[in-house]
Amino acid sequence: MSFLLRCPHCGDRSVYEFRFGGEVKQRPAPDAPEAAWVDYTYTKANVAGVQKEWWYHRSGCRQWMIAARNTITNEVLETLFPER
Amino acid sequence: MLRLFKKERMWRTGDLKPRYDVVIVGAGVHGLATAYYLGSRHGIRSVALLEKGYLGSGNSGRNTAIIRSNYRTPEGIPFYQASVKLYEELSRELGWNMLFSQCGHLTLAHTDSAVNGLRVRAENNQVLGVDSRMIFRDEIRRLVPAMDLSNRPRFPVLAALYHPPGGIIRHDAVVWGYARACDRMDIDIHTFTEVTGMRVEKGKVRSVLTNRGEVAAGSVVNATAGWASIVSKMARLPLQIVSHPLQACVTEPLKPFLDKVIVSATLHVYVNQTDKGELVIGAEIDPYQSYSMKGTLPTLEQMATYTLELFPQLHGLRVLRQWAGVCDMTPDFAPIIGVAPEVENFYMDVGWGTYGFKTAPIAGKCVAELIATGKTPNLIAPFSPARFTTGQLVGEKAAAAVST
Ligand SMILES: Cc1cc2nc3c(=O)[nH]c(=O)nc-3n(C[C@H](O)[C@H](O)[C@H](O)COP(=O)(O)OP(=O)(O)OC[C@H]3O[C@@H](n4cnc5c(N)ncnc54)[C@H](O)[C@@H]3O)c2cc1C
Repeated sequence: MSFLLRCPHCGDRSVYEFRFGGEVKQRPAPDAPEAAWVDYTYTKANVAGVQKEWWYHRSGCRQWMIAARNTITNEVLETLFPER
Repeated sequence: MLRLFKKERMWRTGDLKPRYDVVIVGAGVHGLATAYYLGSRHGIRSVALLEKGYLGSGNSGRNTAIIRSNYRTPEGIPFYQASVKLYEELSRELGWNMLFSQCGHLTLAHTDSAVNGLRVRAENNQVLGVDSRMIFRDEIRRLVPAMDLSNRPRFPVLAALYHPPGGIIRHDAVVWGYARACDRMDIDIHTFTEVTGMRVEKGKVRSVLTNRGEVAAGSVVNATAGWASIVSKMARLPLQIVSHPLQACVTEPLKPFLDKVIVSATLHVYVNQTDKGELVIGAEIDPYQSYSMKGTLPTLEQMATYTLELFPQLHGLRVLRQWAGVCDMTPDFAPIIGVAPEVENFYMDVGWGTYGFKTAPIAGKCVAELIATGKTPNLIAPFSPARFTTGQLVGEKAAAAVST
């Protein structure tokens, strides 16, 4: 199902204005063991339910934001810019 | 003659037994094929298929049924080729007509870089014995006279990879044929039986919990495609998979005018005409992950726009249906088949993404062999889950995806 995302800067826009950036993950420290980096690179929670994920508003303000979206219904619960 | 009209059940329904040697989660074409080869090649018949919906309710009933082996990598090509060979014999083996039509398959190139990509595939295919070659406008025109080969489109057709044995099968018939054959070996098919959890002790799955009760299992197979991550988490094994919807549509029927399968990665579209005359049109995956199985207007517009780039005379044609399936996408567009050392009796046959209908016979055969003998057949060794740790990814995207 197609849906709208509320960009914190531009307001409600079609999902097709955005680039999907995948689930939000904690990046390992540069000297973390290789297994942690393999995990970070490839393993996915692939949540069926509400997930925090990255979106880039490429046809708008060109900023990255984080959305909480239900991956079963595509309902977007919250959008915000990450803390800088 | 009258027997033709006699109602015959293709598979039984019944109670869950308390234990099976092998419990297969997901009765799509992969689960069914695995059960069939366990029974027919290895005599393992204490097998249950647990399916949360009706038979074929997953991607096995939603795909566009293209069968081909003109892939790109030395790991992929022999594997897909072995599957096409099994499909060529399958109707006879199961005594069930699957309407496999090897009508020929054309992958179009509209840019110089795409032409080069197809050349690589043609070379790799020929070295490995797959009937596949580059053709150019004059020959394309002879094979597909209805297609617009002028310089009018924004991306004119420059060349194609022609794969004569590629074609289309009746996907429901494959599912039903395997199910009927399993049933005749007393393998149990339990539809509307959802796996909700697993009991894992000392590195083994002991039993599977379902909405109809608990079943003890010698081995468990995950063959749940788009839902693979959910089921794998029950065995405490995270996967490298992201689920994306993939959509397709079918139009009203026309007189026969197209007898080849046409694929264009530049235009993100593929199309073929069925024996009934309808056009089946497919797209690339939705650009965001989701478990939603609803079609979207933007994708329908995309399928229509790009089909008209190839066949402008189809404007005004009506769409009958549009649908979506949930595809289990891996980072390298290759499947994940095998066992993880952490849970020694939990077998994975997942990561089939947008391309796994054509592989069910060989994947099922190899997974059955792995379960029965404990040895990994060479054909599936490159697809082991360990490849993400060793960095030996397979790189099949250029030949598997409808995108560039
Ligand atoms: C639109 C579309 C077009 C495609 N076109 C092609 C094509 O042209 N050629 C090609 O080769 N491939 C194609 N594919 C891909 C192909 O359909 C799949 O890769 C293939 O069908 C996968 O088979 P499977 O048996 O693994 O999965 P499925 O058929 O999806 O079966 C998995 C089953 O698991 C069940 N299940 C899930 N969770 C549970 C649970 N917890 N408990 C019990 N059961 C569960 C589901 O209900 C489902 O029936 C296409 C896919 C789509 C969506």
